[in-house]
Amino acid sequence: MTGSNNNIYMPFKAVIEEAIDMGCNVKFFKVIPIPPHPPLSKGGRGGFIDYIPGQFFMVSQWGAGEAPISVTSTRGLQRHIEFAIKKVGAVTTVLHKLKKSDTIWLRGPYGNGFNADAAKKRDVVFIAGGIGIVPLRSLINFIQMHKKQYGKIFLLYGAKNPSEILFKEDLKAWNKKGIEITLTVDVKDESWKGNTGVVTGHLDRVKTDFKNACSYICGPDIMIEKTMKELTSRGMPDRQIITTLEARMKCGIGKCGQCYHGIEYICTNGPVYTYEEIKKRRVYGP
Amino acid sequence: MEKVPTICPYCGCGCGLYLHVDKGIICGVSPSRNHPVSKGSLCVKGWNCYEFIQHPDRLTKPLIRINSKEHTTSKKNPPLPPFSKGGRGGINSSLVTHNSSLFREASWDEALSYIAKKLTKIKNTSGPDSIGVLSSAKCTNEENYLMMKFARAVLGTNNIDHCARLCHSSTLGGLASTFGSGAMTNSISEIADARVIFVIGSNTTEQHPMIGMHMLDAVNRGAILMVADPRRNMIAELAHIHLKHKSGTDVALLNSIMNVIINEGLVDIAFIKRRTENFDEFEKVISKYSPDIGEAITGVSADDIRKVARMYAAETRSMLFFSMGITQHITGVDNVRACANLAMLTAHVGHAMTGLNPLRGQNNVQGSCDMGAIPEVYSGYQNVKDASARKKFEAAWGVSLPKKSGLTLIEMLNASRRNKLKAMYIMGENPVISDPDVKHTIEALKKLNFLIVQDIFMTETAKFAHVVLPAASFAEKEGTFTNTERRVQKIRKAIEPAGKAMPDWQIICELSKKMGYNMDYKAPYEVMEEIALLTPSYRGILHHRLDDGYGLQWPCTDVNHPGTQFLHRKKFARGLGSFIPVHYLPPDEQPDEKYPFILTTGRSYFQYHTGTMTRRTTTLEREQPECTVEINAEDAEQFGIKNRAKIKVSTRRGSIEAVADVTDKIIPGTIFIPFHFHEASANVLTNPALDPYAKIPEYKVCAAKVERIHEERPYIK
Amino acid sequence: MKKDLILNKNYLSYWLRQLRKEMQLIGPMRGFKGDFVFKSIGQIHEISLDCPASAPLPKEFVFPHVEEMFEKVFSEQEIKDLQNNDKRIIFGIRPCDMSAINLIDRFYSSKFESSYDLAHPNRKSEDSYYMARRRNTVFISIGCNNPDPTCFCNSVGTGPFLESGFDVQLTDLGDRYFVQTGSKAGKTITNSYRYLFEEAQRQDYDDQYEIMLSALTKFEKRINLEETRQKILAGKVRDSFWEWVSTRCFECGGCVYECPVCTCFNIVERTETDKSPRPPLRAMAFTKGGQGGIKGKRIRIWDTCFFKGFTRMAGGNIPAEKKVMRTKRWWFHKLLYYPEQFKRFGCVGCGRCTITCPGRIDIATISQKIKVEIK
Repeated sequence: MTGSNNNIYMPFKAVIEEAIDMGCNVKFFKVIPIPPHPPLSKGGRGGFIDYIPGQFFMVSQWGAGEAPISVTSTRGLQRHIEFAIKKVGAVTTVLHKLKKSDTIWLRGPYGNGFNADAAKKRDVVFIAGGIGIVPLRSLINFIQMHKKQYGKIFLLYGAKNPSEILFKEDLKAWNKKGIEITLTVDVKDESWKGNTGVVTGHLDRVKTDFKNACSYICGPDIMIEKTMKELTSRGMPDRQIITTLEARMKCGIGKCGQCYHGIEYICTNGPVYTYEEIKKRRVYGP
Repeated sequence: MEKVPTICPYCGCGCGLYLHVDKGIICGVSPSRNHPVSKGSLCVKGWNCYEFIQHPDRLTKPLIRINSKEHTTSKKNPPLPPFSKGGRGGINSSLVTHNSSLFREASWDEALSYIAKKLTKIKNTSGPDSIGVLSSAKCTNEENYLMMKFARAVLGTNNIDHCARLCHSSTLGGLASTFGSGAMTNSISEIADARVIFVIGSNTTEQHPMIGMHMLDAVNRGAILMVADPRRNMIAELAHIHLKHKSGTDVALLNSIMNVIINEGLVDIAFIKRRTENFDEFEKVISKYSPDIGEAITGVSADDIRKVARMYAAETRSMLFFSMGITQHITGVDNVRACANLAMLTAHVGHAMTGLNPLRGQNNVQGSCDMGAIPEVYSGYQNVKDASARKKFEAAWGVSLPKKSGLTLIEMLNASRRNKLKAMYIMGENPVISDPDVKHTIEALKKLNFLIVQDIFMTETAKFAHVVLPAASFAEKEGTFTNTERRVQKIRKAIEPAGKAMPDWQIICELSKKMGYNMDYKAPYEVMEEIALLTPSYRGILHHRLDDGYGLQWPCTDVNHPGTQFLHRKKFARGLGSFIPVHYLPPDEQPDEKYPFILTTGRSYFQYHTGTMTRRTTTLEREQPECTVEINAEDAEQFGIKNRAKIKVSTRRGSIEAVADVTDKIIPGTIFIPFHFHEASANVLTNPALDPYAKIPEYKVCAAKVERIHEERPYIK
Repeated sequence: MKKDLILNKNYLSYWLRQLRKEMQLIGPMRGFKGDFVFKSIGQIHEISLDCPASAPLPKEFVFPHVEEMFEKVFSEQEIKDLQNNDKRIIFGIRPCDMSAINLIDRFYSSKFESSYDLAHPNRKSEDSYYMARRRNTVFISIGCNNPDPTCFCNSVGTGPFLESGFDVQLTDLGDRYFVQTGSKAGKTITNSYRYLFEEAQRQDYDDQYEIMLSALTKFEKRINLEETRQKILAGKVRDSFWEWVSTRCFECGGCVYECPVCTCFNIVERTETDKSPRPPLRAMAFTKGGQGGIKGKRIRIWDTCFFKGFTRMAGGNIPAEKKVMRTKRWWFHKLLYYPEQFKRFGCVGCGRCTITCPGRIDIATISQKIKVEIK
């Protein structure tokens, strides 16, 4: 193990505490990290890794490879690191086969994470599309924990169909704690009595002063783009529209170049950006 | 770190490159700056050609099928699942699973003795012609020569063929009767100085990228580039004129071009009089193909036909290139003859910077044809029916040789289905993926009493083998490759063979010793000496001459001969060039109501052939991980197919599922599928109809239908 | 007063031989028929001191084609770090390559820039594999008395001779080398053999200056990348121009592979089987979750932004789907983003892309085209 402490590519082990199939190709993992010595952060006590909402880990299984996965847990609320992983590629397919007490390997946390300060003393509007709820869950819980510092909290969450709505337990709990939740689906079935259509169509339900509110968006590219435009047209300043982007990443630490986009390495400068930054970034094209 | 100069193992360009070797591990590639073909460049496959060499999938020991009846031992010790007790040591370690058939590892001695015993038995009971041999365009000249010698001298049959049957047999056939030699007439280095470049049926920039580079250089210097292809691929985008003719209408297109040339008086009459024959009869046929008729058949406007004809005929330095788009038709030979007629008509042959240039697809497909790995000829295209040639070989080899020409590749498989062929010895080929109509191929292979496959990986074909022999890759042996411009170049050994693998030439020698024929060569250069002795066009090509240069271009008739830059100088190889009139014949299968599309198949840029090498290369496999079907946007809309949707393509022979690539790069009514993918093998669909002369199957045209599958797009690796 | 040295050419091989006793010696050697290659030196007298200025790329010794990162035996808990700590001395690299290596040093050792990492300043951010090789490598560079026709390092300030940023720089003064040391490592390898060197005299400085002046007159190319950059920034270079450039791109990756500055890589896993039992007949044994394997290796391999798969995400979304986007991306990275990040162009004017690009759309040619055609 020569120089392992200095090797930024060296993953550490984590044991799966819980693995729950959430349906629609998403699996929920609760993992206990066994970080190397000394622990990555000074603040972290043994067995804890310090991270903030919106960050991601490079999760790997030997033989399959690494994939960037956002955390969905919140430090201080959940004891363990939680991931909700959708089966989309080779690595995630292998990860889906894992069960309780299996070992996975982590590197991280990486990325800038959400800037929760931007929303301080403001109303907060969370807008999630599909799997985009995963990183937002971490932030929603974080803001909920410190809710005295924030205004009203709204959540607009759109899914493809009712069965693809994730974290139903959390939604109930948030509702009880006073978060105003609007759910919508693209395709409804018999059981569904709620809203249909895209999330942007339901922004009217968010009763807030958009000029002073702060919004966090996560979802598919098209949905993000549409929502950002819609929010701007309602008067929300660009720097209060915050989103998280997706890119192919291999290192997570700004070296491999795969996520390079404009002038930024999404893995280190991002993945969280304000609309203002995104606009600036695109001056030169891709 | 050592850097070993060698030749790229992919296409027929024959680019020079260095393999980087560090402590016995191949760790990179760099191009050769001064090589006449690559000139410091490489294509993406060349840059990544090092990765498969030491892939963990490499075959490292001979394998013998367990459930073959001869192996009674397997009955005593029934095979155990390989993972049961740790997988190492004991009986388990020698068991190998392959889709329910079981192989066990064997020593070379055992495997070769077994093969020798079986082949001898079959030869004695069913006759030598019940054995078929497939040589390989990926192997060296020396190995092909030995394989040819093995088939003819040891087995006593002319049943030897290789994949040139499937790519350029029509070129050999077509040019033999018109020019007298079936090779590229001119050289790659001449391309940059050409004034007009006419490319028909070749995706040059993707399939022969370094030749494409020379063409682009020519364009930079002001040359006119004309491309005839139903697909708008990269070279077509760079072209000044792009003729999008319908697949399978090449004869009509070329005939009407020639019609314009004759009618407008652009013919080189002196050349025709002095150097060719049979013009009058030819002219009669051509007169029937006016540009308007051409337009009606091909879909190319008569004006464009006239333009191309004038441009091509007006310049002296016009080069004509063709490839699979011409040859892989039931009219393949006719297509080639039409090309030859065009070149002769305007005197575009026999001097520098012109010529008729078939681009060969494999690194050594030219060489394996030269070496006589085809049923009708010995090395150097000396016909087996020619008594004097046969006598020469009989004297040198010390055996009597069969007089009758042998079976071609497809005929061998057909013979096997009819129980006429009992055994096959396949070296470095993967007919299950590469031959048309996979179902029939598999059926034929299953019917064989005995199948030997010699390869570097466990191919789809090897699955059906009774014995699998591990061969050495291009980086693990010495030898020569002949590229498309007839340049014989040396490859050099960089590392030791994987495991117990042996170079193919050594395997053949050892096997023939076991069969009682003493093939004794110290090294490939000794084989080359024998080739030079028996082959006039290779007489001056010896290893020591290749060591300090970029190879020699045959014909090279003595040890001081510098090689030949272009063919047919002063006179054609056959004497007078012969005009052979050809008529347009529609493809074997035409689209109809049930199967409304023309399906054409080919290669993609990132994958190569049956993918045994490229699909084991990280970068290449990442770029093209799945089979995609190119379909025109109009057609796609009509059938409700979205880009990247999963679709089903069916023909009368079968169907495959693949991903739609909706594009405007292909003409409406035609779809294109690359054939590299075993999970979606395009050759499940293709039509095994053969050209009557060359026996080349019609890969380029068959009728197909397309259906949308209501399923989510599959994920990509 | 400067403390530059003079090395009699007769002493060079003795010096190198002594150095080789301590570390691997790599230098330009004759390859096949007029080619030159950088490789381990067998016979010291066979080093090609006449190697042309646009010599083949020595980047691979610090950033190899394929670098093995970790090895893990599946049945064990430990991960083996495969970091390469061989000591190397690379002789005969050119000032442009040396500048490129300095630029890569800055990139690979650069700190994270995210707000999270700013709050955690102790987080490591050096690329361990590159820096391990880099720290164990000493470069002896040779200034270019005779630039090649493809060279334009003078236009980007990376040659033909360097002022700083080298370990040891030699200038060929005919019968002797003018030796400058620019780093601790450089000083070590000269000081240990100080008896071979003499102190440079006035005449030597004059000769060196004369050589430099004459080298500058030999450049055939005058490439003004700043002008190109300004034109791109001003939006004068339209998409139709890039469209044209991209139609000529063969997607071979050669420009990136041959570029001394490019550093992008891909990380893949390879599963090694015990040879028997063999994995099932699948095309890829690399990334199939390691079934049937006994150990896995995580490796990194050169990658190219000209490939579609370079940006393709799991699920198949490709941000840079069109070839023109990928072409622009490379150009903009080199000409716009490098200057923003490092105040240097991502091009050192070595001219290798001019040699290797089959579509003839290398930096020099296109810059020239922009200069001439776009006003």
